[in-house]
Amino acid sequence: MDLTFIGEHLLPGQIGHALIILSFIASILAFISFTKSSFLEKKGLIESDSWKKLGRISFYTHIVAVFGIGISLFYIIYNQYFEYHYAWQHSSKILPTHYIISCFWEGQEGSFWLWTVWHAVLGFVLIRTAKTWESPVLSIVSLAQVALSSMILGVYFFGYKLGSNPFMLLREVMQAPIFSRPNYLEFITDGNGLNPLLQNPWMVIHPPVLFLGFASTLIPFAFLCAVLFKQEYKSWMEKVLPWTLFSLMILGLGVMMGGAWAYESLSFGGYWAWDPVENASLVPWLLLLGGLHTLLVYKKTGQSSKSTFLMLMSGFILVLYATFLTRSGILGDSSVHAFTDLGMSGQLLVYLFIFVAIAGWLLYSRWDEIPMSKSEAHLTSREFWMFFGALVLLISCFHITFVTSIPVWNKLFGTKLAPPADAEAHYNRFQLPIAVLILLLTGFAQIAKFKLSAFKDVFVKSRIALILSLTFALIIGYYNEFQNWQYSLLLFSAFFGLIINAQILQERSKKLPSLGSTLSHIGFAIMLVGILISSVQKEVISINRTGLAHDEAFKEKDNEENVLLWKNEPIEMKGFRVTFLGDSAVEPNIFYKVQYEKINPDTKKVDYSFVLTPNAQLNPKMGLIANPDTKHFLQYDLFTHVTKVPDKKAISEAPEWRDAQEAQFDLTKPDTVMLSEILLINEGVTRDLPADLQSKTTGSQLAVALSMRVKRLIGDTILKPVYVIKDNTVFTYDAIDNDAGLRIWINKIDPKTGKVSVSIAERTPKPRDYIIMKAIRFPYINLVWLGMITMVIGLGLAMIYRKKEFKRLQHD
Amino acid sequence: MKRTHLVLIILIATAIGVIIATLGDASSYETFQIASDNPKKEFHVVGKLVQKEQMEYNPEVDANKFSFFMQDNNGKTSKVIYKGTKPDHFEHSEQVVIIGKMKDESFHASKILTKCPSKYVDKEGINPVKDSTKY
Repeated sequence: MDLTFIGEHLLPGQIGHALIILSFIASILAFISFTKSSFLEKKGLIESDSWKKLGRISFYTHIVAVFGIGISLFYIIYNQYFEYHYAWQHSSKILPTHYIISCFWEGQEGSFWLWTVWHAVLGFVLIRTAKTWESPVLSIVSLAQVALSSMILGVYFFGYKLGSNPFMLLREVMQAPIFSRPNYLEFITDGNGLNPLLQNPWMVIHPPVLFLGFASTLIPFAFLCAVLFKQEYKSWMEKVLPWTLFSLMILGLGVMMGGAWAYESLSFGGYWAWDPVENASLVPWLLLLGGLHTLLVYKKTGQSSKSTFLMLMSGFILVLYATFLTRSGILGDSSVHAFTDLGMSGQLLVYLFIFVAIAGWLLYSRWDEIPMSKSEAHLTSREFWMFFGALVLLISCFHITFVTSIPVWNKLFGTKLAPPADAEAHYNRFQLPIAVLILLLTGFAQIAKFKLSAFKDVFVKSRIALILSLTFALIIGYYNEFQNWQYSLLLFSAFFGLIINAQILQERSKKLPSLGSTLSHIGFAIMLVGILISSVQKEVISINRTGLAHDEAFKEKDNEENVLLWKNEPIEMKGFRVTFLGDSAVEPNIFYKVQYEKINPDTKKVDYSFVLTPNAQLNPKMGLIANPDTKHFLQYDLFTHVTKVPDKKAISEAPEWRDAQEAQFDLTKPDTVMLSEILLINEGVTRDLPADLQSKTTGSQLAVALSMRVKRLIGDTILKPVYVIKDNTVFTYDAIDNDAGLRIWINKIDPKTGKVSVSIAERTPKPRDYIIMKAIRFPYINLVWLGMITMVIGLGLAMIYRKKEFKRLQHD
Repeated sequence: MKRTHLVLIILIATAIGVIIATLGDASSYETFQIASDNPKKEFHVVGKLVQKEQMEYNPEVDANKFSFFMQDNNGKTSKVIYKGTKPDHFEHSEQVVIIGKMKDESFHASKILTKCPSKYVDKEGINPVKDSTKY
């Protein structure tokens, strides 16, 4: 029986899915046409042009369809059509409009779509600019689009589901009795909501930039495939070099924004955790960086052409591998970032193998043709050191990939290896010598000349930098009590790289060409100085040492990084007096006010103070999700987040009043009752009733109050419970003292015995409010950002310069 | 050609060196038994929270001490002491991975990873498929 459901909006989803199918078919057509055109072109046949035209038309159709998919999905989320699983799963009514865009990349389908968009845009640019390379390059780009579009296809082929369609309806995805009711939508009032961690401005901008970075690694790959295919080993550099620089710049920017997001909004305390997903974006970047340098060597000397092909092409392959790692669910527990399996791991693996096969076959069949200078680089030449640097980067990539892939090794070999217990320390230890080598090379390689240079020259040129950096490293290392000589070595090499590049910048200031490269090298060195100091000197200051006298206890306490702050009860932390002032809620966040007061050690007065408001969402699904707040100073950052808060519900659900106790008084004799913190004195009966009760007693037979003095340290108050007999009915009115937390009412007055029976209830003491928080001091973290930004700007300048350089060459 | 070969040999040698050094550093998924046999080494132990045993966390006394009992996949139960705050929804975890070492009859964990079932069941009893992402 077919049910008709009420209130569903099926059209946008049907349009969306139709567009997905269209984009998939158009990309297949584009791939076939461009491939056909490439083969015909190679044979010099004129029919290639008509195939190329067909390819273009198909690709343009594909672009339009891809944008249409995005518009349909946006329309569904924006209008809160929760009958769609994607909208229900990733958004909710209270979600601010500007975060709708983040809903796109919370799910796998949306992020695949984002990737497809960038490939489409880049493909469009390439159709316009690739000229003679157009057909083979676009053939590779189209193939990538076939792969990516199929990831959101959601169509069954011979019983195998290809891709996951973002336009699925909730009732199609989930099985529940409710979906057999035609009016089920009336019960689905709100969506599941966006992960609170993604509700951050960085999350609006970081994924698009990062995915543009990923997408752009395809271009050097596609060009090099085209070169090998066409067997034309000239004039490709003018395309590949600027695009490699572009890719490095954007991917670098994307990774940097990811770091900024992690630092601003995650509570692990830092910008880099060597998480598999972070590694997955770093490795392609490092490969492209190595490839860039071998490419420059090739351009200048004709050497290391083969390593250029290998490194640049593996950049894109590693992007695919990373996608497989993070989206196949294979990482399981080892990453917080990883997506769970949507049953697409097989598909991902197939695409990975297809691209590896294409690249491998082309390289294998053309290997001996790739032009290579017969001369060998001299040991003191710049090209030798640049090549050596590229190899060092390759080893770095190898190590990172090897450790990140541990779950893969377990699957392949049936081992039960786990990532190193302290993964961060492991990576840092292995990558440190690599950083040292790279930094030294950024200096020495640049002052060495191409072809041949004398050792003496290199030494003369670098001696000032050597002496200066040694001095700086010693002073700073000593001043900061570096325990570890490796850190001092890294500091020395970072300073060396910095100073020598500054020197080069000054020497070559008139020559624009080297501005981009020196700036990026300076940026790299500054970044490493920042990374080193901010991580080595990073200090958890939220350690409660009150009441601890001896060293042993101090050391033991060093591991205890969370501190409990009672409300309004200050604690001393590293020269700050820290007080938790209270919280306030702005749905769905709770903001915790933490006041920092810098105490002058001499005068004991407050030098300055500020309030940090780390916030948290108490997410029903994920528990407490803490968002840190950071105070930025020029030299350091003070980073604070809550790790645990008391259960407010338990507090509010606690019974307000304890069980009342009964007391008997004599109507005439003053008497005293001892309560937990209060002394209660019965001062006898009075007819002087509280004002608000007077009206209620008119016409009564009896209206009396008992005067009870509440004695507290801060002063006395009088409470008057009232006893009224009216129309032969007894009314009692209780008296409440909210400050004292006391409630008294009269049960009975017995005129015969002159006794009065009174009930006294005390308020349950409110559980005191507190937070458990962690505070970290990051010194000189601004150098990290400064270095990264400088590097990205440098890469951008280099790209612009290279483009102009090749244009000039064409005109000459 | 000669130098190319040399470079290749050096690269392969370094790669093997990296693999060996890394494997020496890598931890492994083991049981409490192995962990107590090698008290100096850090291990990953996978298991389940023992619900009927007492979980202890008194932030008022010590915000950095949380202890519970876990049963590993071989059925052996051990007390686990974690220096840190109690993870939210810990009671509901399906599976617990602890990283640390055995010391004085109890397992001292430096890290706890929990896997929680997607228990977002709303009023209508819709139980969604596992949440697809944790970015």
